[in-house]
Amino acid sequence: MTRPHGSRERVEPVSTSARMAVVLDGLRPRGGTELIGGDPAACAEALGVDGLAVSLVCDGGVGEPVWATPGPSLRLEDLQFTLGQGPGADTLDSAGHVLEPDLDRVDPDRWPALLPELRALRVRAVFCFPLLVGRVRLGVLTLHRRTPGPLTDTAMDDALILVGALVSMVLDNAVGDTATREGPSVLYRAAVHQATGMVSVQAGVPLPQAMLLLRAHAYRCGRPVLEVADDVVARRLHFRDSGAQPDAFGGKGR
Amino acid sequence: MMAAVQQEGVLRAFLDTVDTLVEDDFDLIDVLHRLCARSVEFLDVAAVGIMLADPHGDLHMLAASDESERMLALFGAQSRQGPCPVSYRSGQPCLDVDLASDHKTGELAAFAARAREMGFVTAHALPMRLRRRTVGALGVLHTAPGPLTSRGTRLGQTLADVATIAILQHRTIEHGNVERAQLQNALTSRIVIEQAKGILAERWQVRVDEAFRTMRSYARSHHARLDEVSRQVIDGGIDTERLRAGAAGKAGKAGRTGR
Repeated sequence: MTRPHGSRERVEPVSTSARMAVVLDGLRPRGGTELIGGDPAACAEALGVDGLAVSLVCDGGVGEPVWATPGPSLRLEDLQFTLGQGPGADTLDSAGHVLEPDLDRVDPDRWPALLPELRALRVRAVFCFPLLVGRVRLGVLTLHRRTPGPLTDTAMDDALILVGALVSMVLDNAVGDTATREGPSVLYRAAVHQATGMVSVQAGVPLPQAMLLLRAHAYRCGRPVLEVADDVVARRLHFRDSGAQPDAFGGKGR
Repeated sequence: MMAAVQQEGVLRAFLDTVDTLVEDDFDLIDVLHRLCARSVEFLDVAAVGIMLADPHGDLHMLAASDESERMLALFGAQSRQGPCPVSYRSGQPCLDVDLASDHKTGELAAFAARAREMGFVTAHALPMRLRRRTVGALGVLHTAPGPLTSRGTRLGQTLADVATIAILQHRTIEHGNVERAQLQNALTSRIVIEQAKGILAERWQVRVDEAFRTMRSYARSHHARLDEVSRQVIDGGIDTERLRAGAAGKAGKAGRTGR
C-alpha cells in the first residue's frame, strides 16, 4: 500500500506489504526437488510488475532461471543468456542494482541487440536486483513491467526483503538444509564475513565455497552460524586444506 | 557547555564531509569512519558508531570511531536490542541511557551489561532520518555519567543527518527510486570489507582489526577506496604482500623506521 507523499509525518522503519508477507511465507519449498516454492505470479502481483525471474550464477555469468513467471520473463532471461548482454549481466558485473523504469530512455548502445527484442516483447521497465553476500554473487532477480515508471516505495522494500529471503534459501539449499534456523539478518554480521575470508585461505577455496563450508559445518553441528564464525575469528576452529572437516583447537597442540 | 572553538570545529568537519561528497567516487566507509572519529571529539564522548538497517529491519554497524574487534562486537550485539534499535524504531533520540544502574532487565539489559563490561557508563542514540522513515541510528558511548546537553543532542542529530546524506549521496545508481537500494549497497560495501579483512588476517596470521588498519592505511596512502581495495584482495587482483609493505612503508615514514 502506498501512501501519498507528505500525508503523514510519522516515521516508520520498515514496511512489508501483507501480500508480500504471504509470498515470503510460501517461499520455502515443501519437499520435492524445486529450489524455491510458491507462485512467482503471485509474487509479481505483490510487487506490482508483470513478471519476474530468478536466475542463479553459472560459470561466472547469469545461468538458468530457477523461478520465473511464464512468458516474457523467461524469454528475457533466454535472450540475455544468448546475446550475452542485458541488465542481468550488468547487475552481476557491477554487483549493484540496475533499475530502468523506462527502456525508451535507455541509451540504444547500452544493450544494442537486446533493446529491440524487449520492445518486441512490449517490455517497458526492467528492475534487476543482485543476489549477493558481499563479494559473493549468487544470482539475479529480474522484474519487468509493460508500462514505464519506477517501482513504488513499498514494492522496493518488498523486493529487497524478497532478495534477502532468496539469498538465505539458496545458501541453505546449497548445504542441503532446508530448515530456516536463522533469519536473513545473520548475513550482515561482521564475524560471519571475516570468518568466510579466513576459511577461504585455510581451506584454499574461493569465497563462495568458504561460505558454504562455514554454513555446512554450523548445520552439521546444530550450531548458529554466528557462533561458528566467532570460533573461526578467535582461531578456536580451523578449516584445513580441502576443508571438509575442520579441526577444533584445544588439547590437540599446535 | 560547548566553546566557540568547538563549534568552529564542527562546522569544519561538516564542510569537510560535504566537500568529499562533491567528489564523484568517494570512499563511503572511510568518510563515515572519519565522521565518527570527529564526532567523538566534538561530542566529547568515548565512541561513536553508525548503524544502518537491513531490509528486514535489523541494524548493522557501517562505521565506528574505533574499529577494534570488541567495538564491532558491541555494536554487532545491538542488531535488535539496545539504544540504537530503540531510536531507529521510534524515530526519536534515545538519550541518557544509564548503563550502570538501570536496565538490569528489559530490552536494554543485554546491551547494557556488555557495554558496562567495556567500561562505558552512558549511552545515547540518535535516529538517522530520511523524510518519513528512519534508516538507522548514530550510537554514542560515554565513559562518564551525565546527560547529553541539548546542544550535544542537536549536534549529534546534525552528524546523524550528515551520515544519512553521505550514504544516499554515494553514487551507485543513476535513477529511479533508489534510496533503499543505496542503503543496501552501503551494507554490501561493508560486507566486502569484512570478507577482505578475514582473508588478510589469515594470510598474515594477525588479528582482523590489525588487517583492517593495514588495509586502510594502504588505501589512504594510495588514494584508493577501501571497498575497491577489498574487492581486489578478494579477487586476487592485488599482491597482498605488497599491500602490507605499502602500508608499512607509509607508517614507517610517519614513525621510526624499523628494520
